[in-house]
Amino acid sequence: MSAPPLYQQVAVQWSNAFLHLNRDEPGISGLISFAEAWRLIKDFLRPRDLSSPKRESDFNMATIRAAAEIITQCEMLLVLQDDFMDAVRIHLHLITQDIVQLMQQYEASSDAQHVAKLVARLSEWYNAWIPLEDLGESMLNAYNLAFQTHVYSVLPSSFTRGFRALVTLTFNLAQESTGAEWLFTIFPKPNNPSVRIDKPLWDAFHLLGLSERYDSLISSVCYEYVEAYIVKTCAGKWDEPKLNTIRDWMVNRIVPWMLLPFAREAKTAEDAKSMLQGVGSRLDFHVCKTLADLRTNEIFDIIVDYPDSTNALKDLKECLARVDQRSHLVQTLRKANKRRLLHPGADTKDILAQYVSIIRCLRMVDPPGVLLFKVADPIRQYLRSRPDTIRCIVASLVGDGESGDSLVDENEPIQPLQQLQAEDYSDPDWEPEPIDAGPDFRTSKPSDVISTLVSIYDSKELFVKELQVLLAQRLLTISDGNYDRERRNIEILKIRFGEAALQVCEVMLRDMTDSRRTDQHVQAQKSTVLHPTIISKHFWPALQSTVFKMPGQFKQLQEIYAKEYTTFKPDKRLLWLPHLGTVKLDVELDDRTVSADVTPLEAAFVELFSSKDTWTVTELLAEVGNVDRTAALKAISTWLNLGVLKEVAMDQYKLLNVAEADVYGSGSRLPAPAPAEDELPPVVTMQQQQAEQMQVFWKFIEGMLTNLGQLSLDRIQGMLKFAPGYDRNVDQLAVFMEAARREGLVTVRDGLWRLNK
Amino acid sequence: MDQITTSLAPPTRTSQKPAATGSTSDVASSVTKRLSSELMTLMMSSSPGISAFPRSDANLFDWVGTIEGPAGTIYGGLKWKIAIHFPANYPYAPPVIKFDTPCYHPNVDINSGAICLDILQDKWSAVYSVQTILLSLQSLLGEPNNASPLNPDAANIWSKPDDFKTQLMKHYRPIAE
Repeated sequence: MSAPPLYQQVAVQWSNAFLHLNRDEPGISGLISFAEAWRLIKDFLRPRDLSSPKRESDFNMATIRAAAEIITQCEMLLVLQDDFMDAVRIHLHLITQDIVQLMQQYEASSDAQHVAKLVARLSEWYNAWIPLEDLGESMLNAYNLAFQTHVYSVLPSSFTRGFRALVTLTFNLAQESTGAEWLFTIFPKPNNPSVRIDKPLWDAFHLLGLSERYDSLISSVCYEYVEAYIVKTCAGKWDEPKLNTIRDWMVNRIVPWMLLPFAREAKTAEDAKSMLQGVGSRLDFHVCKTLADLRTNEIFDIIVDYPDSTNALKDLKECLARVDQRSHLVQTLRKANKRRLLHPGADTKDILAQYVSIIRCLRMVDPPGVLLFKVADPIRQYLRSRPDTIRCIVASLVGDGESGDSLVDENEPIQPLQQLQAEDYSDPDWEPEPIDAGPDFRTSKPSDVISTLVSIYDSKELFVKELQVLLAQRLLTISDGNYDRERRNIEILKIRFGEAALQVCEVMLRDMTDSRRTDQHVQAQKSTVLHPTIISKHFWPALQSTVFKMPGQFKQLQEIYAKEYTTFKPDKRLLWLPHLGTVKLDVELDDRTVSADVTPLEAAFVELFSSKDTWTVTELLAEVGNVDRTAALKAISTWLNLGVLKEVAMDQYKLLNVAEADVYGSGSRLPAPAPAEDELPPVVTMQQQQAEQMQVFWKFIEGMLTNLGQLSLDRIQGMLKFAPGYDRNVDQLAVFMEAARREGLVTVRDGLWRLNK
Repeated sequence: MDQITTSLAPPTRTSQKPAATGSTSDVASSVTKRLSSELMTLMMSSSPGISAFPRSDANLFDWVGTIEGPAGTIYGGLKWKIAIHFPANYPYAPPVIKFDTPCYHPNVDINSGAICLDILQDKWSAVYSVQTILLSLQSLLGEPNNASPLNPDAANIWSKPDDFKTQLMKHYRPIAE
């Protein structure tokens, strides 16, 4: 037989076990002492019900320790641990009862007090059952695991809510010690005043492993608290730098608070610092993100407030350097612009002003200009579609802002317009384009605002033309002969646009001064009351061509003057534009003299009445030429109001040589006519000019399609070079042709255009 | 063949004349200027039934014209294409004009399209322009000069409108779009 008989094996095991337990004690005294120790320990470790009356503590800690020593010596710890854990498991239902009861109360009242009670109660249970330290770490770990697993499995989901409330509470406790006094009945204030008053609570959290398990929740509570603080203190306050204030606040208030939840084990300040580093930098990131979000949402108003909001922009810049929210900023601002700026209700002037502010603000936030480029694009496109944009820009160029605030910063030095330059790679300071620049991003060197505005349009010629129109309007309204202001403007503009572009303006200005000199000369030859302004037709923008002739005395005056002028300048001829003038008139009637400053048309009418007493409107019109009927009626009403004329029948007027007694009483006269709207620009605007030009081009298109049959767009474009002044590109032509097609003038098939017959 | 002769003939002329008149570029530019302004005038005049335009954007000396028969005449409601070629010394010499669309008319050669019109030959003057020529041609359609016919048959039956109309329509080809 190879194996010993069974009884022999049992005997060997038995004696081994006996020797093991008896150790080297004589007889069976070792065995007996072990049995005694085992009983004692088991009794000591038995999980007790807290609610049952507390037994007198009859344990002598020394004997317990001795017993633990014996158990350890006998290597029976593992057996004891299993035994103990079984006992714990059997009793866990006691804890469950408490948890269920307190959580029900919390759920009913939503009062964090019950959660605090629960935490306190759980720590009591934990402390009551905790095994003796001498029994080794493994038993403690097993106990912790079993206890926590059970607690967590029993805690309802509403506990997170309560826990969050409890943690939130600690902010106020740590700071002003107001708030829930009840907490201190559950977790008494520590006696040592240097210890934080919420330390017992945090100790309990640690004891139960809550601070570890709900680590992210504690962080999020902290984030929320910080967020709320930032929104509370910073929203709408853009006039002072906030980021540093917030950081100071963090150091003074949040970091001390973080010591308990996050740096509990720290022994020294150094330890604490390194332990807080991770969570601290995350929190700082969060601060930047929150502030950036806040400022991003406010960005439109911040820009409106510029330059008072400079500090907010500086904060934003610093935050954006830390968090990548640039695309969000762009999107938000674009959306805000679309909603609040780029709609028909906004004045072009306001849009321009806001655009200039945006330029300035975003330059501050992002000097390379990528953000600006992305935000500006829709604004520029929108401005391009507005008919009066150029006029507004030009008006601000010459400082014509009625409100007084020009787009141009007075302190900004006047400099020539900057053209987009190709990148200079030999520049030692060259930097690549920023990483988020789009493919069509153009490196715009920080140029002045006017250059940026002018670059909305492809060519500066448009501006120069509009400038001429504006200048013409302004020159013609000047009556006191003081052109210093205009001269100054033109000098400024010369610096910007270059001499050549403003040559025409120069001529216009010289015309004005020359006119005065010519007039002086003519007056010296033959004194007359007529003082014309003589302008060079070719250098002035198209003026609304006059259609009416001055009758009677006025005509004579004009003829005499023209004759003198021709003697003075034989190679030149005068072409009268009477509607641009003004007449100072004394109307001598039988019983009175009426003095008035009137328009030439009004003067012409009253002159006609001196030859005949009664006129109909139609007769008057026939005398002066083709004048708009409404304009004629308006001119007549001036005299009606002055009591010079009277309407005797429908459309028939009679001169009142003797003043009539005012039948209606003097108060009932018609109110003085409101200044007519059409008084302002006698100059044909760019827009009208363009429409007229398009008419010309259309004739050419019609001509070529008539004779050459169907043509492709490219050929039409090529042929249009015969049309004088044609400067459209093929895309603009396509738009124009499409418009003609909609009007039924042409048809298109397979890319070939033909006249619609 | 007509087409080829019309397009080939003028260049030989242009190469001869400038030598007599002086600096080539000067002349060319002044002629171009004149033709441009005539085109502008023509485009803006909007005379009914007459129109002309350069054949291509590369050559301002070669134009295509369209003439509508004057209403109320036997030619009313019909349209003809004509080819206009300007000599290099225009306007000191008249343009060469031919009907591209066959035109049955006493003063028009039915085969070559050549026109017998005094102002296009010996009565030419520099004050005439494309517009005046086109207007003259238009009126010539309604009032032929039967004294110097290029097409004697047409001149003979001019007095019999029905026969004339039959012949006219026999030769007429509507302008292809």
